[in-house]
Amino acid sequence: MNDLNTKERPLSPHLQVYKWQLSSLLSITHRLTSVINTAGISIICFWIISLYLGENCYKYFSIFISSLIGKFVLIGFTWSFCYHLLNGIRHLFWDLGYGYELKTANLSGTLVLLSSFLVTLALWILA
Amino acid sequence: MSNLVVKKWLLQRITAVILVPLLLWFLYIFVGLVQKDYQSIIVFFRNDINFILSIIFLIIVFLHMKLGMGEIFEDYIQDERYKSVANLIISALATILPLITIVSLILIKIN
Repeated sequence: MNDLNTKERPLSPHLQVYKWQLSSLLSITHRLTSVINTAGISIICFWIISLYLGENCYKYFSIFISSLIGKFVLIGFTWSFCYHLLNGIRHLFWDLGYGYELKTANLSGTLVLLSSFLVTLALWILA
Repeated sequence: MSNLVVKKWLLQRITAVILVPLLLWFLYIFVGLVQKDYQSIIVFFRNDINFILSIIFLIIVFLHMKLGMGEIFEDYIQDERYKSVANLIISALATILPLITIVSLILIKIN
């Protein structure tokens, strides 16, 4: 194996090799949102820490949150969490051995994508 | 079940199942709270149930995050040394950040 040029081989996740389809798009989005959620949960931690540090410290957070960019960022993070949660449920069903048929997988994928937007919308309207 | 990888796989699923209701709860209260004033948020976190649920949420979410990021490094980082460094950084983040946050929550509650 050592005489092969390993540098030229495509690396996982093979995004440049596979033909794009719903299943692969949703799969990489699951990973992408996991990284975004790591940033999101860290921001939530800083939010709680700033609450302890007092109203003077928290006010910077509330200024950011009440701005248009702040709202956009928060809604974006909410969607990312919702998507990862819903697609995570899809993964759990796969782990139990259900939903592997092409038709079912495409249907559940479409449902997850649609619901992620609906749940985000519902959270911001209801909460 | 003696294999470490199998244990990690299972723990990721167990934390995922617990996080389904917990994350939904947290997102719901978070979206509501960021639109409220400082004092209302403090009152919210001083409530016993909210206090305990928030701490459980933080512990489980960071455990799930650490396992998930480890899995991503396993797939995308070929060099074993870089992989160990990446895992070390994530482990530190997944320990220190929730710890400081939980201490903040405790101090908010007792002050």
